[in-house]
Amino acid sequence: MEDKLLFKPGHTACAGCGQAIGARLVIEAAGANTIVVNNTGCLEVFTTRFPESAWNVPWIHSLFENAAAVASGVEAALIYLGKKENTNVIAQAGDGGTADIGLQALSGMLERGHDILYVCYDNEAYMNCLSTSSLILTKDGLKKITEIKVGEEVYAFNQANHELVLKKCSGVFDNGRKEVFEIQTLHHSIKATGNHPFLVLKRNGRGRSNTLVWKAVEQLETGDRVVTLKSLTGGSPFKFPQIQKTQKGDYKVNKLNEINLPQETTPDLMKYLGIFVGDGWRRQNRGEIGFALPEGKKARKVLSALHGQIFASKMTSDKNYVYANSVNLAKFIDTLEFGSGAKSKTIPGWVFTLPCEQREAFVEGLMLADGYDHSGSKRYVSASPDLLKRMRLLLQTMNYRVGKIHTQRKVKGTHCVYRDLLHDSEYGYVCFSEKKEWNLGKYSSQYRYQDFLIDNKFFQTEEIRSIKSVGVEPTLDLRVEDEHNFIADGFVVHNTGVQRSGLTPFSANTTTSPYGPALIGNLRPKKPMPEIALAHGIPYVATCSVAFIPDIQRKVKKAISIKGPKYIQMHVPCPLGWRHGPEETIQVAKLAVETGLYPIVEFENGSLISRRQVAPKPVEEYLKTQGRFKHLLNNPEAIKAVQEIADRNISRYGLKIEEQKPT
Amino acid sequence: MKEYLEGSRAVAQAVKLCKPGVISAYPITPQTHIVEELAQMVSNGELKSQFVNVESEHSAASVVLGGVAAGVRSFTATSSQGLFYMGEVIFNIAGMRLPLVLTCANRAISAPINIWNDQQDSLSLRDAGWIQLYAENVQEAVDFHILGYRLSEDHSVMLPVMVCMDGFILTHGMETVDMPQDAEVDKFLPAYKPLYKLDPTDPISMGLLADPDYYMETRFAIEDTMKDVLGFLPKVSREFNACFGRDYKDCLIEEYLVKDADKVIVAMGSVCGTIKETIDELRKKGKKIGLLKIISFRPFPYQAVYEALKNTKQVAVLDKAVSLGAYAPLAVEIKAAFFGKKKSPKVISSFVAGLGGRDITLSSIKEIFKKLSVKEVNLEFIDLKPELLKEEYGG
Repeated sequence: MEDKLLFKPGHTACAGCGQAIGARLVIEAAGANTIVVNNTGCLEVFTTRFPESAWNVPWIHSLFENAAAVASGVEAALIYLGKKENTNVIAQAGDGGTADIGLQALSGMLERGHDILYVCYDNEAYMNCLSTSSLILTKDGLKKITEIKVGEEVYAFNQANHELVLKKCSGVFDNGRKEVFEIQTLHHSIKATGNHPFLVLKRNGRGRSNTLVWKAVEQLETGDRVVTLKSLTGGSPFKFPQIQKTQKGDYKVNKLNEINLPQETTPDLMKYLGIFVGDGWRRQNRGEIGFALPEGKKARKVLSALHGQIFASKMTSDKNYVYANSVNLAKFIDTLEFGSGAKSKTIPGWVFTLPCEQREAFVEGLMLADGYDHSGSKRYVSASPDLLKRMRLLLQTMNYRVGKIHTQRKVKGTHCVYRDLLHDSEYGYVCFSEKKEWNLGKYSSQYRYQDFLIDNKFFQTEEIRSIKSVGVEPTLDLRVEDEHNFIADGFVVHNTGVQRSGLTPFSANTTTSPYGPALIGNLRPKKPMPEIALAHGIPYVATCSVAFIPDIQRKVKKAISIKGPKYIQMHVPCPLGWRHGPEETIQVAKLAVETGLYPIVEFENGSLISRRQVAPKPVEEYLKTQGRFKHLLNNPEAIKAVQEIADRNISRYGLKIEEQKPT
Repeated sequence: MKEYLEGSRAVAQAVKLCKPGVISAYPITPQTHIVEELAQMVSNGELKSQFVNVESEHSAASVVLGGVAAGVRSFTATSSQGLFYMGEVIFNIAGMRLPLVLTCANRAISAPINIWNDQQDSLSLRDAGWIQLYAENVQEAVDFHILGYRLSEDHSVMLPVMVCMDGFILTHGMETVDMPQDAEVDKFLPAYKPLYKLDPTDPISMGLLADPDYYMETRFAIEDTMKDVLGFLPKVSREFNACFGRDYKDCLIEEYLVKDADKVIVAMGSVCGTIKETIDELRKKGKKIGLLKIISFRPFPYQAVYEALKNTKQVAVLDKAVSLGAYAPLAVEIKAAFFGKKKSPKVISSFVAGLGGRDITLSSIKEIFKKLSVKEVNLEFIDLKPELLKEEYGG
């Protein structure tokens, strides 16, 4: 069965993508004897990333705007080969590729009378996110953005009272590979795509209070002040998972160093683990924990004392190293996910959930191993880039002043951190120091003007030092309920947006038609594409919605049975761009039809032959399901304007179900 | 069979001999006569092709892209702005490794709008991954189409070929042409056998997204093929010569009295005819001069150029295009061919002439030979009218 599917699973569409559902329905209805020509767009990107393809029919993509023309060539070639009679040609595109950049080629195809079915997947905007290297602050600690799951609680910025709050993540989206920019402030740096919104301070002039606004990376300038996290209070000791301890009498075990394993974190243990992350190694097969601490180093004494206190056991040592021989200790440390090897050591996410005092102790341990004081500030050195990045973020939860990561290359033999290097090595360091507290009593209004969030416990504003493009990377985005923001690499960022197209509906809030005090969002109604197609005098034009599946299948089958150019436009919700839950796609699409905002009509040879009638619901029911219309909800005038659009559709196409007369 | 034909008609006849199944074009001077002629042939029933009248060059290129992708030999022709409007499809066709022949009736680029000949259009698309052949006369234009399909469709090449012929000078000029016979062409150029095509019985996906893990290799592969074409084109050329009784040798360059020359002009296209005539005239007066004609601009035959000119004392490169702010396109290649080499001309001077259709006459060529001396000059504009640069013209 699997290999008979014409549109195979395993593509990389977002959860709840209406277009993915629609595309599959179209090709399954059209059948295997079909050649598909696709414009550039989400559908092309998520189905055909080399070396994979979801298509089990011949499929070609050329450019953003020429699917109709390429399909014309394919059709001409099939006629030349005498194969057109039993082969369907489908050209398909999104709404931008149809109504904007691709309109000319489409018009040419319709006018020339090619025997092609053109399908427009109308998701009402150009859909487009954070680099997948971003680290997100969640209730369970710091996580890679790739590890976040729907339902997980992430930290967010409460835009009303500027507090740190926990909010549920309601969607995770793979946005494919995109150009990514690196934004740097004094303490933070993050990579994000050009359209990703950041929370920025807006000064409203003397005597007026400042406000916070969302600005896309492309609009950010150096000197703008962005909101970042400065400290994370609260937290609780981490309870260790139970491990299966090795016991005397197990296979080949006749001798065992007994050891007490702790149940949960304590400041002492965190200090010990800090030293381990800095200088330790673990060889589980030999049951060995070792530390590269030569005689005379301060950390050696501290370590031995801590080891005795915590584990009630002793360490052995030689001139350069200290060892603890215990299979169970090695097993225990293995569960803590510190990584192994100097270049891949890391700070696991759970460390970020600890009380501040334990995080401090951990940093102290790290500093004992690999740190030193340098002209009033502290400097931590490591060969692991990931460790440095996480160390920096950890320090940023503790209200330190943190510098950026510097990298250095040292040649073999250089004396460095108490030892001579055995190989040429590359490593980095990060500097940090205590923050000077501002004297708020004295010049409080000035300070507040400079730093809007100066007495905020969790957040601060920081000046952007640089913004630069760092190439193309895989990107992901999260959607967060209520606040629609989250904390990535210490920055407060908004989940991303979309750009307006000719088929974006009136009043929708997109990143290029944003809602603001002066404007309602997109100012124009949708371009009447079905009517434009009709005006070409083609034999078949229909609209459909991904909410009504049998209707799609019937229309596609009907369209391909008719010779000549055919145009079908399908309403396909985009959870990411429209801002609704991935499980709500069908419901949202259905409401668009039931309110009269998306008329489902069918024309044959210019005459209306069918329409889906509804008992019209107020447009508000549709608008309130999506974030892109959220700004309308307490604007009765705007709702009225949208209702008028629906009413016009209803009377124009006779969409209202006639009242049943009693019989 | 010898016929006295207009260049465009002759090219249309040559295309007809190649039997493309899909033809698509959008009118633009000076290319229009070619497709008008083809349209008439289709209408007369002499040519069994699908002729798709599109709404733009962008769609013309897209239609032939679709045609070849579906497994049918296809043809389009354009000029100037039309070629630029095709621009992204031009790169796309090469990137998708689709074999095609396109005629570029070379014309100047706007603004100011100018419909006359220079080579700015095709030279501006030199990086697209197309093989570019420049014809000196109508006979070459005719022959390069036939040779072009054979080269392009070879499974070791699978790259599109642009046959560049100077607009008006060749497209609208009358010339006696030895038109190849249908049967000869069929023998030399068998029916198109696609290496891959859109076919419901064997579905493949074409035009996939290549991320940074794959993209670079696709460019490298085209570059690698281009290198091979420098070896393969001479082979195809020799076959062509044998089949049709021509003498294009390796079809990369043509040497005209270069061996004993002290001074050589390097040029491309129809101007080579004028240069040959000048040489004949000046040789009679005892001047040791010659011409090196570049036929294949992409791939560029660096080795052949080196071998041809390594013992020449002074070389003048004549460009009918510019790369504003840098050396002219052909001059760059000729200088590059000798950089760091043991043997090299003492002087490689660069001249620009004939932009926007200004006639390059015998005296223009003589002036170039005159200005070619021990002192190297770069970007010397020939036949410039200094009076037009004065203030009264707003300059």
